Amino acid sequence: MPDVLKAPLVVEFPFTRSLGPVQSAFLTGLRERVVLGVRTTDGRTLVPPVEYDPVTADEIRDLVEVAPTGTVTTWAWNHAPRRGQPLATPFAWVLVRLDGADTALLHALDAPGPDTVRTGMRVRVRWAAERSGAITDIACFEPYDGAAAEPDGHRGDFADPVTGIVAPARLDYTYTPGRAQTAHLEALAERRIVGERCPSCRKVYVPPRGACPTCGVATSEQVEVGPRGTVTTFCVVNIKARGLDIEVPYVYAHIALDGADLALHGRIGGIPYDQVRMGLRVEPVWTGGARHPDHYRPTGEPDADYDTYRELL
Amino acid sequence: MNREIAVVAFAQTDHRRAGEELSEVELLMPVLHDVLARTGLRTADLDFVCSGSSDYLAGRAFSFTLALDGVGAWPPISESHVEMDGAWALYEAWTKLLTGDADTALVYAYGKSSPGSLRDVLTRQLDPYYVAPLWPDSIALAALQAQALIDAGEADEPALAAVAARDRENAAGNPHAQLRGPVPHGDHVVRPLRRGDCPPVGDGAAAVILAAGERARALAARPAWIRGIDHRVEAHALGVRDLTDSPSTRLAAEHAGAFERPVDTAELHAPFTSQEIVLRKALRLDGTVRVNPSGGALAANPVMAAGLIRIGEAAARIHRGASDRALAHATSGPCLQQNLVAVLEGDPR
Repeated sequence: MPDVLKAPLVVEFPFTRSLGPVQSAFLTGLRERVVLGVRTTDGRTLVPPVEYDPVTADEIRDLVEVAPTGTVTTWAWNHAPRRGQPLATPFAWVLVRLDGADTALLHALDAPGPDTVRTGMRVRVRWAAERSGAITDIACFEPYDGAAAEPDGHRGDFADPVTGIVAPARLDYTYTPGRAQTAHLEALAERRIVGERCPSCRKVYVPPRGACPTCGVATSEQVEVGPRGTVTTFCVVNIKARGLDIEVPYVYAHIALDGADLALHGRIGGIPYDQVRMGLRVEPVWTGGARHPDHYRPTGEPDADYDTYRELL
Repeated sequence: MNREIAVVAFAQTDHRRAGEELSEVELLMPVLHDVLARTGLRTADLDFVCSGSSDYLAGRAFSFTLALDGVGAWPPISESHVEMDGAWALYEAWTKLLTGDADTALVYAYGKSSPGSLRDVLTRQLDPYYVAPLWPDSIALAALQAQALIDAGEADEPALAAVAARDRENAAGNPHAQLRGPVPHGDHVVRPLRRGDCPPVGDGAAAVILAAGERARALAARPAWIRGIDHRVEAHALGVRDLTDSPSTRLAAEHAGAFERPVDTAELHAPFTSQEIVLRKALRLDGTVRVNPSGGALAANPVMAAGLIRIGEAAARIHRGASDRALAHATSGPCLQQNLVAVLEGDPR
């Protein structure tokens, strides 16, 4: 068996999230260098604040300002910061109970080394130079040996509150398609289209995924199919996809390759879009050194009879 | 309706660092065939199928629909999926059998962590407003919990290392485990947790079959009856919780009947050594209980399957007469956020 294929895969998108009234006040407060908590009906102050009491489920809206100073309740030394974390140099993760709060906030503590950090140590907020209304408006915490700061009694009313956040997220993967799809892709690069036959129902799947979805058994017998096939059904694409260098309108079709028991997808070229039809006979077109067909074009054969592909629709 | 429901069969892959030559369905399918063969059932005989997995692990959208290829879902089957550990899929299947709508169910779970960076992937399950933007990775959060336990005087680094050594010694008898026998405890990853306090990252899959009443007796010589099962969740914010305790585990155990009589075996889903100490306390496990005879999650931790494997391992011990009453635990989320407890029993011998 050849080595399986691998390719980098980056999944990245910005999450745009709206904020409820308490979250909005808290994050707007951070922008204005004010830390707000929320008072529960039994008199506790939660920081960071939430909109429903985690114990009683009461709706809570009573915002109170707490100090930007506090006490570490637990910590962990991170000697190798990772992408996206608050500091690029080694730091301590900390839960900090701010003065005036009854619960703790997770953030980073900028400290010279693990021997300088302990539970119970005093810290204060280091504000980010540029603030937008996000948890990262707190750049980190830093050691602090002064008295508890006195909050000004802010109640969370702001002229220009933030109403949402945009949180970018990126995860990096090494994609591997597995045994069956690797074999299929390797054959495509040699301009052959290879599927796999189910040992139970004898159907040939192209592209193969390693299992027969009807019988639930592994497929392994490789079967060369096509290269010619029949358009079983199609659609006309009128919206240009971003980053895709294909003029619209174009036709995207299901194509049953000769010898296959499942239609695959492909673009149809070499014929005006409004002349593509069910039953049209097509063949793949490889361009340059491509590892897979660029599109399918008409072969010039007479159209296939409906009965020859009706089971493959 | 009060029906007796049992785990009648269990199968799992060998859990390895990277099953990269296999797609998810290729990883899963042999386990499905194995578990079906143990009962003689075919897919068409199953009344219900439920699975647990997460697309984020391998970065493949709708991977659970592709995994269904391995079940053979034609003619159409009654099927469901949870984006959680398979232990919660088993919970759903158990409720389905309780209703009387089904007599048999297949439950499976798989996790292919090797394509991504698991520590970073798991940050995406956190509070998206206040926590996820800081990208605190899974080991960092577990380390905060471990330090809280140390500050409370309930553990120290040698005690944590002893948990790891005991579990991996147990795993020497488990051919499926990824870490079998002693491994160096290593340097700090995020202090106070060292490499040996953390689970291996690996790919794997598992499956169980549930059956009700007489059907269970027909399918297994000694069914592992689910006497109780319950799951509970804690407050979302880490800073609201007492990280040295697991009240949700204790509550789930109470509702599952775990404290009514002693258990002889406990399979705990504690990916980090510190979490096993928290769970032992919450579940009141003393020296008479055999904890993690499989090696637990410190020996093999295929994410999304590791909790289901705890139930499967506990059931398998009952099947072969090595246990009469066993507790199985599964967890989800950071620092034991959500916990499931099941109590399994065999018929008197």
